[in-house]
Amino acid sequence: MFRNTEMSASLQDRSEPRGEPVIRVKDVRKAYPTAGGLFYALKGVSFEVKRGEFLAITGKSGAGKTTLVNMVTGTDQLTAGEVWVGAVSVHQLDEDRRARWRGENVGVIYQSFHLMPMLTLLENVMLPMDFCGLFHPRESRERAYELLKQVELADHAYKLPSEISGGQQQRVAIARALANDPMIIVADEPTGRLDTVTAGVIFEIFRKLAEQGKTILMVTHDRQMARRVDRLLTLHDGVLVDGNQPA
Amino acid sequence: MMRPRWRKVLADLTGNPVRTLLVVLSIAVGLMAVGMIIILHHGIGEDMHQGYAAVNPANIQIRVPAVERDYIDHLKKLNGVRDVEGVRVFELRIRALGNQYKPIKIKAYTSGDRSVINQVRLLEGRWPPKKNEIVLEANRLGDTRYRLGEEVEIKLPNGDLRYLKLVGIVNDQTIGADAGGAGFFLAPIQGYILEDTLSFLNQPEEANLLLVTVDGDANDLTYIREVADRILDDLDRNGIETFGTVTRRSIDHPNAVYVDAMTAILYLLGFLVIFLSGFLIINTLSALLNQQLVQIGVMKTFGATRLQLIAIYLTLVVIFSLLGLIVSIPLANLVAYFEFNALAPKLNYISRGLRFVPQSVLIQAVIAMIVPQMAALIPVVRGTRLPIQQALSGISGSQEQQLSRFSVWLTRIRGLSRPAAISLRNTFRQRVRLALTLVTLALGGAIFIGTFNMRASLENYIARLARYHIADVNLSFTEPYRIDELSRVILGVPGVKAVEGWATALAQTVQPDGRSGETVLVQGPPDDTVLVEPIMIKGRWLLPGDYRAVVLSEVFLEHYPGLKPGDRLRLKIAGKEQDWTIVGFYRFAGKNIGLTAFTRYESLAEATHTYNRSADFRVVAEQNAMSLQDQEALAERLEQTLADKGYKVQEARAGKSLKQRTTSGLDTLTNFLLFLAMLMAIVGSIGLTGTMSLNVLERTREIGVMRTIGASNRDIMRIVITEGVLIGLISWVISVVAALPVSQALSRAIGEAIFGGAFPLEYVLTGPLIWFGVILVFSTVASILPARNAARLTIREILAYE
Ligand SMILES: Nc1ncnc2c1ncn2[C@@H]1O[C@H](COP(=O)(O)OP(=O)(O)OP(=O)(O)O)[C@@H](O)[C@H]1O
Ligand SMILES: [Mg+2]
Repeated sequence: MFRNTEMSASLQDRSEPRGEPVIRVKDVRKAYPTAGGLFYALKGVSFEVKRGEFLAITGKSGAGKTTLVNMVTGTDQLTAGEVWVGAVSVHQLDEDRRARWRGENVGVIYQSFHLMPMLTLLENVMLPMDFCGLFHPRESRERAYELLKQVELADHAYKLPSEISGGQQQRVAIARALANDPMIIVADEPTGRLDTVTAGVIFEIFRKLAEQGKTILMVTHDRQMARRVDRLLTLHDGVLVDGNQPA
Repeated sequence: MMRPRWRKVLADLTGNPVRTLLVVLSIAVGLMAVGMIIILHHGIGEDMHQGYAAVNPANIQIRVPAVERDYIDHLKKLNGVRDVEGVRVFELRIRALGNQYKPIKIKAYTSGDRSVINQVRLLEGRWPPKKNEIVLEANRLGDTRYRLGEEVEIKLPNGDLRYLKLVGIVNDQTIGADAGGAGFFLAPIQGYILEDTLSFLNQPEEANLLLVTVDGDANDLTYIREVADRILDDLDRNGIETFGTVTRRSIDHPNAVYVDAMTAILYLLGFLVIFLSGFLIINTLSALLNQQLVQIGVMKTFGATRLQLIAIYLTLVVIFSLLGLIVSIPLANLVAYFEFNALAPKLNYISRGLRFVPQSVLIQAVIAMIVPQMAALIPVVRGTRLPIQQALSGISGSQEQQLSRFSVWLTRIRGLSRPAAISLRNTFRQRVRLALTLVTLALGGAIFIGTFNMRASLENYIARLARYHIADVNLSFTEPYRIDELSRVILGVPGVKAVEGWATALAQTVQPDGRSGETVLVQGPPDDTVLVEPIMIKGRWLLPGDYRAVVLSEVFLEHYPGLKPGDRLRLKIAGKEQDWTIVGFYRFAGKNIGLTAFTRYESLAEATHTYNRSADFRVVAEQNAMSLQDQEALAERLEQTLADKGYKVQEARAGKSLKQRTTSGLDTLTNFLLFLAMLMAIVGSIGLTGTMSLNVLERTREIGVMRTIGASNRDIMRIVITEGVLIGLISWVISVVAALPVSQALSRAIGEAIFGGAFPLEYVLTGPLIWFGVILVFSTVASILPARNAARLTIREILAYE
């Protein structure tokens, strides 16, 4: 029942015209309990991301970047504030609904790839489709193969993650993030563990995705990259310093 | 193509074969134990019931002085009687191994060669025997030296020897059917002859035992008793005295009580093994989920709901269970097969071998589908409940992170070598896992130790029963002799310290309607007897001034509830009915032996008209604490001397022979318990192997660090093995303590089943000592595999480990 409303919500999102805000973060705070009491990693962050926008978030280590994107993906619970993605109030979903919503609407990419070690690349890409059931199993297999082709790894489809390089693993992770054709891609330092050349390749994939109309939220330390996105947010000690356009 | 999530399940299954093997085995052992017990219970029960019914067993056995064949024919016409057979049963002595004579119970068929009731089964040679030939029963044949075709030497009461040719060896399932539970184990060597051999053995030709089968429901005890009453009335009318009546259903094999006693306890232990294997599953799955926290986080990130995750892990467990089932079903049958063959001769039934018992498979399947899943639910629910970010960090919470206060305290222990200190501190790092492992090992140990205690208690109990028969040698004669005269003769035999002449009689209880009821063995020791040390339950023992007073065994309390000291009991002794005053109740062998009573010699001698005389002499040797062999030698000496002087000895029996036989019957039971305790120890060891493997796996990094700072293979192995043995030793301490209540429960259960009451518990060191050795070996063996794995890790693998 709830699935239906979400499905329709996501379809509705997809039909939204370019330029409309698709992510709305309103005065989000996140406190971690520590030995010395509560520690606020986010101290009231607000911003909006338009459909099709390629947004980068930078900031020093410990500034709260990961914490912030976790709020958007709903992989962590916020302390105060609101996160809206399309018509869905992410912060109000319970864990299982959020998992299903995220699986269908957000493609998540981690710095450390996090592929399932005992599944082949193809199976790794199929996994989100398996859980969310948006595609028929046979269809999902073809689709996974297509996605691997897009990241130029179709030849390695039946290898295990341990048999390919880090850059290749991250490309598989991107393919996996695209599995359910989400409108939003959230990547936390996707190139952090890669050398500059490989990082460049990955970044180009993101660029292409942005051109195809995906909304992309990417955390990065790389100034070069930060300069080449639509918009750059800088976090400092849990607050946004300015929402300046790329130079 | 398989869906990715099921591919993952498969990969978890095959990715770590040792883990899969451990889980499958621990499930299989539990299932196997229960499955095997079900097969045995059903199979032995079936074989006993059907096998016994197939020999056309007597439903009623009545002992009489003598009846003619005409009368037997008359009895056959009585209502409810299907068939009657008269046999003559008597005890002589047979020359056994060496020069010893042992009692032999000979059954002579007085109705020609027909033997339709209590049929025997020919094993070797031929049946029936001809004139002056004998057939022996296989069970106690080992007590003698005879082989087919040889002459069997029989000694008559007057000392004459007779030789009968051994022509056949048979199996008789009705041994013990005329007595209580332990009848089979107490029974002497059995021989079978035809009536034309009776005169050769100086025996009269009339039957003295009536074997009766009933027409109608032979498995309805009330009905059988009705028919028995009808026969007893008829005997009464015809002036034929009776010495005792036993009624028994056609399916009640005499040793069924032992099987019943065993199975109740075995089921209990079997389910305990299942319970323990549940612990192992909790342990292994907790570790598995801990290792897969990151994966769980990833799956959640990509849309997996908790239900989907729980399904993934429970499917894994279902596959473990199915594999366990595949192992356990044939294994249960295999072990049952060996047990079938091992138990059949011990319990005197004919095994029809292994068969398919659907209940066994069904119950194993049901348990396999329920217990592991229930056990797994705890770690699975906990593991899938963790928030994503925490899961992705791979930390399951407080467990590994914070050191317990105890761990901190352990650092204060000084004087340990570095590796020993590491082992010690590692032991207490995973406390839940440690606790579950300890419980498994300790419970197995407690039952192992408990079994030894129970066995010692049983032996001790039987020894206490021997307090009613303290004599070193029991001499019985075919006719009474003057006590003072015979005492002088006996005291003249070297090695004899004291002798007592007792009065003994078989009495019948008299029911309110005047019918004679059950048979009671009444014994009358002299007032100054040193050969009885009773254990009183109610009232008091006999006093010199008592007149016609009796103390009764506890079985009376069961048969006649409400009976109490001060009540009167009407007994028929030597044909005369008299009222006796009950002064107390003593504890004897319970259900094992029928009704027994003690009275003063004077009172019983008066009732049997054998004043100053006795056919029952009890001899005490000069030597203290004689062995069975010494007693047997003295018995032989006494018999020789007395026979030379012309006294008619019926039997000279060593005091300890009774105890030895009773114990051997119970050994069957205790061996089985030990077998189950060993199964538990195996489950425990599998658990320990699992625990140690998990510990090693989780500490791969640390091991790598130790390597880089110069730890050798041997150092690492020693650290791991020391930890395993330490866990074993801790479990040993716990099991020694836990053995106290376990022993209590075991002996209560067995006491109730066999003796109809608990018996006092004895604690012996044998159990803890043997268990110490077992646990030392088991824990070392259980740690070797993980230790080798730890030592084998190369730096490269360690760095690759994530
Ligand atoms: N689980 C947690 N418990 C307590 N404090 C935390 C936790 N996670 C993060 N923090 C703290 O919150 C702050 C923000 O952390 P966050 O991981 O969001 O930083 P970041 O900007 O992603 O840094 P980096 O660039 O190093 O990845 C840091 O000070 C961090 O120490
Ligand atoms: Mg970060």
